[in-house]
Amino acid sequence: MHFYESSIITTKDGLHCQVYSNQHPDNKILVKPKYIPTGKISSDFLPYRFISGRKMNRLNLWVNDQDKLKQYIEDFKKAYPDYIFKSPLHDKSPLFFAVPREKIERAYSPSEGLCDLMSIPVKDLDDHLRTVVELVSFLLKSNLELKDFGITYSTLMGHYSSYRSDINIVVYGKKKFWELMRFLEKNSHKGLRWKTYEQWEEFYKKRNRHMIHRKDIYIRNMHRKKSEGFFRNTLFVIFAVENDDEAWFKWGEERYKRLGTAKFKAIVKEDESSAVRPGCYIVSDSKFISGDSSCKNLDITKVVFYSRDYSMLAYKGEKIEVSGVVEEVRNKGGEKYNRVVIGYFDSYLDERRDNEYIKVIEG
Amino acid sequence: MTRYHEAALVDSTDGIQFKVYGSTHPKGFIIAKPKYVPSGVLNLVGLKKRFLFGKCMYRFNLFNSKEIVEKNLGAIRKKFPYYIYECKKHRNWFLGVPENKVKKFYDTKKGLQELIKVPVEDLDPYLKATRKMIGILGEAGISTENLGISHSTLLGNYTPGKSDIDILIFGVENGWKAIRHLEKCKNTSLTWKSKEDWARYYKDRVVSKVYTEKEYVANMVRKKDDGLIDGNVFSLFCIEDEKESWYDWEADHNPLGTVKIKAKVKDAYHSIVRPGYYELEETKVLEGHKEVPIKKVVTWARPFSLQAKENEEIEACGLLEKVKTKKEEFYQLVIGYFDTYTSDRGEKEYLKALIS
Repeated sequence: MHFYESSIITTKDGLHCQVYSNQHPDNKILVKPKYIPTGKISSDFLPYRFISGRKMNRLNLWVNDQDKLKQYIEDFKKAYPDYIFKSPLHDKSPLFFAVPREKIERAYSPSEGLCDLMSIPVKDLDDHLRTVVELVSFLLKSNLELKDFGITYSTLMGHYSSYRSDINIVVYGKKKFWELMRFLEKNSHKGLRWKTYEQWEEFYKKRNRHMIHRKDIYIRNMHRKKSEGFFRNTLFVIFAVENDDEAWFKWGEERYKRLGTAKFKAIVKEDESSAVRPGCYIVSDSKFISGDSSCKNLDITKVVFYSRDYSMLAYKGEKIEVSGVVEEVRNKGGEKYNRVVIGYFDSYLDERRDNEYIKVIEG
Repeated sequence: MTRYHEAALVDSTDGIQFKVYGSTHPKGFIIAKPKYVPSGVLNLVGLKKRFLFGKCMYRFNLFNSKEIVEKNLGAIRKKFPYYIYECKKHRNWFLGVPENKVKKFYDTKKGLQELIKVPVEDLDPYLKATRKMIGILGEAGISTENLGISHSTLLGNYTPGKSDIDILIFGVENGWKAIRHLEKCKNTSLTWKSKEDWARYYKDRVVSKVYTEKEYVANMVRKKDDGLIDGNVFSLFCIEDEKESWYDWEADHNPLGTVKIKAKVKDAYHSIVRPGYYELEETKVLEGHKEVPIKKVVTWARPFSLQAKENEEIEACGLLEKVKTKKEEFYQLVIGYFDTYTSDRGEKEYLKALIS
């Protein structure tokens, strides 16, 4: 069974996890724990939810008190050591969360879920699900078929709250996803509206975006995204997941050596894989701006990110500035290249959380 | 060892979710009603569909035409014969799950304990109302250790404003404490259907041909196990403790036919549980059988819980049985066996207090 990014796994220990990659090590699935039972570890600084009959902490990596987050992750490592993955591909493994296959209680399939949902008579659906069905029916007017779509997170698991929960649509296949984006640029629906400049401005103020981006450029760039909007006043987000034959990297085919942290400028050469997670931009003409001296003379050819905040942010030909961990990558054939990685989980535990970014720049 | 008690939920290995009926069961088999059946495993008819737990599910419902119920039960019997228990001691059949087909039991007590640990400010209005109801039951002197939550309240697939809040009270005495408290409780969050509401409900839904509107309203308006808390419907389910179990699965039940009776309620203590019973005196057979003394009316149908009080006159129609236990022999009237949903008896069965 292939575990697509954005699928949901519940574990025998009661964790609810989001699959965080389309590529996985043997017998483990890379995830982000989303809801964690409070029986073994608990923290008042994380939000609580009552889900599946349990008091859960919602793991929010953007909480203000980073020391408490760090402590919580330390507690997590002790309470759930099986869910921490030490990558043998990295000389110094970043923090990865992974579910061992034998710990899976249930894997929720977004595509099977949506297929089932679309088979239900509309009269039997509540308002939230009707909105989902209507949105998907509209999306099906593109050339994509039902099998190309999925539904995930709270809608899939059934603990959504009508009027409050987002709709999270999955599109299987990068090519299909970009085709859908083009469809959405050209087509409208009476229930569909895009985030306004003001709504993106509000979004801009959250997290650390205001510290990194120039407001007008950021909002202009976000405003052109067609993966996020409102349908019948419910926020929807469309995620792309890679089909196996489209994967931009295969787990195990490369080795990574950490060289330091640095800021670079570069020009986006290819943006196709910026729609997925982890995503990447192929770049050229990189220039070192600042950072560890070990990175000074390096040529960067790839920018990788684990946060969806950076998906579809920049397009081919645009100039970007990136700040993150610099890695030397060696592939199976022995060829080497350098990349910058933004958003490994451990970056949320120190000053890197506010210092790592990708932004489009002018000039 | 897991105690499969009334109103708990159980998932079977075939992915069917069952609602447990009763707190005592025949050996190796749990009496239960299918609640949600994945559309992928059975093709059923005349049922609503729900999107739950990532799947399309039929919401299994026995309140349907006999033909539909028969067809759906036939589909279950054909593919999953082990969900139907042919009971020689009752000469009847029951729906349920063999214990060895249980995949998951949802712990109602543990669920409530987890819920009360969540800070109120992190709860949505539905769960806040649930917490408030738990608080009201606390005022009645029932500790949270004797309470549970079930169904969508436990699983989290509720729709605020539409779904019931289902709270379980463990111990018959605790159940009565709750009812007595609610009868006099003045909490402004609590509201009850008025006589007018019940009359409207009667007119709109035509609940039964055997009640007049007046009788129906009088029987329903005094019940305190269903009401509204901050606008959310709540239902209280009383669960016998193990030592309070009264149902004898080893007793021989000989069905004698459909009978209508009149009687006086001698004891209604066990009318709060399922299966529940009213102990009777001064019984009179009105139709269907020669005169015999009837010891009790047993009900498997929740609408007939708390229907009559001690010393009240009742009228009832159901299946007359001669019961032979190790200690005694007696007659009883039973309402709400599963077979009533596929037979003519279902339309005839009722129990009403003659109080209007």
